[in-house]
Amino acid sequence: MSSSRILGAVLGASLSFALLTSGLALAAGSHGGGHGMHDMKIGKPGDPAKVSRTIEITMYDNYYEPESLDIKEGETIRFVVRNAGEFVHEFNIATAAMHEAHRPEMMMMMEHGVLEPDRINLEAAKAMQASMGHGMHNEANSVLLEPGKSGEIVWTFPKHADLEFACNVPGHYETGMHGKVKLSH
Amino acid sequence: MTIGLLRRASLLGAGLAAALSGAAAAGEYNLTVDRVPVDTGTFTRIGIGYNGATPGPVLRFKEGEDVTINVTNNLSEPTSIHWHGLILPFEQDGVPGISYDGIAPGETFTYRFPITQSGTYWFHSHSGFQEPDGAYGAIVIEPKKREPFRYDREYVVQLTDAHPHSGDRIMRNLKMMPDYYNRQQRTLFDFLKDSKEMGLDAALSERGAWGDMRMMPTDIEDLQGFTPLINGKSSAQNWTGLFTPGERVRLRFINSSAMTYFDIRIPGLKMTVVQADGNNVLPVPVDEFRIAVAETYDVLIQPTEDKAYSVFAESMGRTSSVRGTLATAEGMKGDVPDLRKPPLLTMADMGMAHEGMDHGSMNMSGSTHTMPDGSTMKGMDHSTMNMPGGTHTMPDGSTMKGMDHSTMNMPGGTHAMPDGSTMKGMDHSTMNMGSSDPFYAPGSGLMPAAANGGKFLSYNDLRTQKPLYPHREATREIELRLTGNMERYMWSINGIKYADAEPIRLQYGERVRFKFVNETMMTHPMHLHGMWSILDTGKGKWNPIKHVVSVAPGTTVFMETEVDAPGQWAFHCHLSYHADSGMFRKVIVEGGPEGKAAALPVKTEG
Ligand SMILES: [Cu+2]
Ligand SMILES: [Cu+2]
Repeated sequence: MSSSRILGAVLGASLSFALLTSGLALAAGSHGGGHGMHDMKIGKPGDPAKVSRTIEITMYDNYYEPESLDIKEGETIRFVVRNAGEFVHEFNIATAAMHEAHRPEMMMMMEHGVLEPDRINLEAAKAMQASMGHGMHNEANSVLLEPGKSGEIVWTFPKHADLEFACNVPGHYETGMHGKVKLSH
Repeated sequence: MTIGLLRRASLLGAGLAAALSGAAAAGEYNLTVDRVPVDTGTFTRIGIGYNGATPGPVLRFKEGEDVTINVTNNLSEPTSIHWHGLILPFEQDGVPGISYDGIAPGETFTYRFPITQSGTYWFHSHSGFQEPDGAYGAIVIEPKKREPFRYDREYVVQLTDAHPHSGDRIMRNLKMMPDYYNRQQRTLFDFLKDSKEMGLDAALSERGAWGDMRMMPTDIEDLQGFTPLINGKSSAQNWTGLFTPGERVRLRFINSSAMTYFDIRIPGLKMTVVQADGNNVLPVPVDEFRIAVAETYDVLIQPTEDKAYSVFAESMGRTSSVRGTLATAEGMKGDVPDLRKPPLLTMADMGMAHEGMDHGSMNMSGSTHTMPDGSTMKGMDHSTMNMPGGTHTMPDGSTMKGMDHSTMNMPGGTHAMPDGSTMKGMDHSTMNMGSSDPFYAPGSGLMPAAANGGKFLSYNDLRTQKPLYPHREATREIELRLTGNMERYMWSINGIKYADAEPIRLQYGERVRFKFVNETMMTHPMHLHGMWSILDTGKGKWNPIKHVVSVAPGTTVFMETEVDAPGQWAFHCHLSYHADSGMFRKVIVEGGPEGKAAALPVKTEG
């Protein structure tokens, strides 16, 4: 890989795009891929006592800093995520196929007024919850943040997985807001 | 355009370097207005261009810089340059008779204005028919801040409709014979076919209705016989943009045509729309989009394969197309898709909903069907339409009796209905019931559908990423009926052509709500100079901010304008021959700070 940071980002983006396209068939066959946070394939919520290190993630419009992650197999990480952008963003750890499956749900949240470009409308979320039986997701592998807000995730990574961290707010993934998780020994 | 391409590539590098070093000096630019050769591969002629070529150069500005542009007129007639979509003092807007006197032959005029926005725009002559003759170029403005999307490479994709006849000659011919350039007139054979399909009475009635409107159902493009070009190149000349597989590429589409709307797709690639008319929108992934005359759309694509992809633009009336190529090496070519079937205007496009027309044996005064989008489809009398066959359950629970697909002959895609059933083979150009786009009349023949059955962009999908103004109630409404007489090729607003009209007077500080009521059967791209057009899509403060608002036949469209730019401005249909024949107004903004001249602290960054 080139020493150029920009080129590195480009390579990362193209690698993850290849994953996304190969994951399409999987997504079509697995119903509710977005609800798979308990699936061992992507890891599991971590025990805060076993955290080996803290990684700070800054979310901008529409990209992350850092743009990719190097993590050891089985490692438990505390992610401190800060939204430094002007729009709502998500930090979500999953496979490309799961992200793909999650995006229509986020689109639905936007269409119901729950997800506004720069805020989360809790009243609309309650209305959506009442009328549809479900509204805001509260999953251990993701955090959805308004501008200026911070959040934390403690996550234990599995041994083998093709994972990405991504923002599935409509249009953000497509314009570059995703990065690769590289798992190593 | 090879030189233009090189220039663009090198400027891109230069722009990046400048951005990194934070340098932003005042830029000086020189343009000459010249008679230039036009060679489309199918015809050659002398047209008008800038710096010796048409399209002219891509002007690259930086948000925050003050530009100085020296324009030298080498023609033997007066000229002008209008900076389309730029917010600037009205004396710099370049419309002869409104902003200034124009530029006399041999004269050099110096424009000076601050760049207060970013995005993709264009420039063109506002004198006579110099623009249709080739007097246009692109403007790319680099933002101060990093944009809310990433890309590795970018190309301007400027669409034009070069015609073998000069603009003056076209206008003379249209005045003499409005259907001079309409090669798709309906024949007796078509009439007999209609009679067979809808019954003789209905066919006669519809024909009568078309006659009353002095139009024909094929009047979608009143100017045909042009050769569409991408960056000055026809399909055979094949404009090519290079990429490395996996790169994210930004395409800046600009429609600089005189008269032609295009439907654009890149078979094999999804496009994510990130800007409309230079302003960031919430990104929308689409398979295809329609670009009105004078609009711009920026899309991101990510081609992953080592192959040639065709950038394919088909005219809205399906009379012509142009293909460009995105490839990994020069000389590669993708497929050129076939032209799709020409759409036909329907009764809906005649605005039967609000005109007191005699529907005769069409008898469309019956029940109303609620469509999936909540719009209604007025009064289809099923007994008269006589459609035996199965029963379709509509989303509202009502049933739609007896559509006989074999008789109605509706080829096309399959529509999944909300109840899970599918509705096979509706031809959008004929019925269009499954689609939902409030920016077309219900049942319109013009409503587009993606060639691959996927997502076609609608105005309804556009949300601004950042409102430029606080959302507030409009202080007043101004109704502008878009009117015309096709038989005499006269186009007007509220029935009055420009030459006979009083200016529209606005007060500085007000927020005006414009109500466009299209009473013609043509689509008009309305363009207000100097101030933003906030298109009402019902999204409140997220309504998209544009400089061109396209109004389809039989529809009413609203846009709002914060009147924040003193001076006088042009407001017109951007179809060259419609504007010239009278669909044009002068707008005078009264009051406002003395000498303020539009240099307002409007936030324009992404
Ligand atoms: Cu995001
Ligand atoms: Cu018009």
